[in-house]
Amino acid sequence: MAAEEKPKKSGFMGVFKDILYGMSSHEMTRYAVRSRASMEHLFILITMGDLLGIPILPPYYSLRLLPYVTPQISSWKRRMLRERDITDVLG
Amino acid sequence: MNTLVAVIIGALTVYLAYTLYARRIDRNVIQSDPKRATPATLYMDGVDFMPTNRNILFGYHFKSIAAAGPIVGAIVAATLWGWLPAIVWLVLGVSFIGWASDYSAIVISVRNEGNSLSAVAHRLVSPRTRTVLFIFIFFYLLLVAGAFVGIMAGVLSAQPRTQFGIIVLVAMGLLLGQMLYRWRTGLVGATILTVGITLVAILAGPWTEEIFKGLNAALNGITGNAPIVTYFDPTLANFKGAEAKIMPSLLFWALAICAFCYAGSVLPIWRMAQPVVYVGFWITAMAMVLGLGGAALASFVKPEVAQFQIPAFKGWNPQMGPAGIMPLWPMLFVTIACGAISGWHALFGAVGTARQIENEADMLPVGGGSMFTEFLLGLLALLAVSVGAKGAPVGAFASGLGGFISVWGVPLQYAVSLAFAAFIVIVLVVTQLIFRVMRVTLTEWLGEVIPPFRNQHVASFISVILALLLVMTGTWIYLWQLFGGANQLMAALSLLLVTVWLASVGKNWLYAGLPTIFMYITTVASILVTAYNLYFNVYQPNLAAGRTLPVIGSGLMVLVALLLVVAAAFIGIDGWRAFMRYLRRPAAAPKAAPARG
Repeated sequence: MAAEEKPKKSGFMGVFKDILYGMSSHEMTRYAVRSRASMEHLFILITMGDLLGIPILPPYYSLRLLPYVTPQISSWKRRMLRERDITDVLG
Repeated sequence: MNTLVAVIIGALTVYLAYTLYARRIDRNVIQSDPKRATPATLYMDGVDFMPTNRNILFGYHFKSIAAAGPIVGAIVAATLWGWLPAIVWLVLGVSFIGWASDYSAIVISVRNEGNSLSAVAHRLVSPRTRTVLFIFIFFYLLLVAGAFVGIMAGVLSAQPRTQFGIIVLVAMGLLLGQMLYRWRTGLVGATILTVGITLVAILAGPWTEEIFKGLNAALNGITGNAPIVTYFDPTLANFKGAEAKIMPSLLFWALAICAFCYAGSVLPIWRMAQPVVYVGFWITAMAMVLGLGGAALASFVKPEVAQFQIPAFKGWNPQMGPAGIMPLWPMLFVTIACGAISGWHALFGAVGTARQIENEADMLPVGGGSMFTEFLLGLLALLAVSVGAKGAPVGAFASGLGGFISVWGVPLQYAVSLAFAAFIVIVLVVTQLIFRVMRVTLTEWLGEVIPPFRNQHVASFISVILALLLVMTGTWIYLWQLFGGANQLMAALSLLLVTVWLASVGKNWLYAGLPTIFMYITTVASILVTAYNLYFNVYQPNLAAGRTLPVIGSGLMVLVALLLVVAAAFIGIDGWRAFMRYLRRPAAAPKAAPARG
């Protein structure tokens, strides 16, 4: 087995590119990721609401869909139940 | 004094403060531990909590905190007190207070499971503190929105050369949104097209000047060149005070800005707000990089644009208006906010950046490093206004920055156009985002009690109307200083929270505690001075002259000022009680740090 891969050290141009990306596009990327996550979480809420005590869909369909949403359930529960306030809008 | 010396002072400040002070605090007091798991790694959900490379995060954090604050503050301070007090406060502020505030806000969130400052305040201080903080945030946003709309309307109305570029910027923002999210065009191609066209439009400003002068004249002709509103403005006639007039052209541009912000607030963020910010970023980055490089090289290449033109010191208490006072302490310390210290940075750092910190060792380069870079932006603005010296404060800034850009061989008139546009763009993109956050804040705050506020159009409309009302006082310097007071008070409150947290975990709290005391007393005093100035310089003369709008606007500002002081008193008392409670408590045994996976 090959030796454990060491993170590649980025040179000056690498650092410059990262900073430029952070300034110009990181916010847009975060927004796109958030939009997708909101949709996914809404879908999980509708199908797996029982997990939070909100039965929306009959359990038969929930169980059929369970294998597809299992990987996201833990982060979904955390996001749904996390306390939020107005300042969260800024982030 | 010339720009080269100032640039060397700036570079030395950053180097010495970062290596000798900031690193020492990070190592000895906070004891940042690269092996300790951060919320981004512990709670990674791929959305809010996401470990991110430190360079990317530095760029993200810097861009999020760098707005019009460091620019406008330096311009106003240099105009009122001269360049020397401004540069001294920038250097001392960032070295001992600014970086500590930004960095500590990130630290407190990282060490408290990625919670926001208000959530930490709720847990560490009292539930009331959180509620007061929410009210505080809304008025803070209202003040900054009012100040920015007023500044932009004035510049756009007085500088017809800037109007074409700004209109094209908005159009290109809309086009970029359509290209990226609907037509699925590649980012690089779309960027080259939209930024290129915007840049050409900005540089074409001098050619389109006559057309827009004609538009302004036609607008003013509607009322036969009679003003819509007349008011007493104490900042006119070399700060002796004079009658000012709001002409139809100024109202037109103020309404155009408000319409733009309204659209930015209610449309999906990808449609307008985000792409306009993106296009604007490239324009301002270009102007700032060329400007900072030009300022450093000007002494060798073009010495005539490198010499300071304004006096180093204009006085401890310049007279402003018939009854106005403007003492250096406390007013300088709120006039220059963002380049030295700012509450906005702490607020944003705790919720936006802290949840993406991959490694505790990144907290200082990201939080502290961004603040030091912001200081350089404030310094650039100060240099520009110090060498510009022609016309109104913003005009002097644009003329100075244009001079720096011209060092690279760009003809001066085009360089000045780019500088004016960069100023408006940076203010405009921030203002539209502020209205968006105001809308959400108003909905969250009052939506439960008054259902119509849940409607985004109602909340946006009320936000716009309130900001316009403030603009109608006409005295944007007071509005700016009131915003500065609210912003610095926010910084003091975040430092207070850090002090309480440091006491609660048994660490040395002095590096945050001493700045807290200074900032708290200074900002409360400055808000009271601003309220005094507003009452005697704006409210009373306009009331005596029977002018309704300026009276309502300035009266509203005085009320907001008093409300801020009351809110600060509540938070201060609660914070002090919590601090004493933790100091008296025996130190708890340190908890084991969760290990990285």
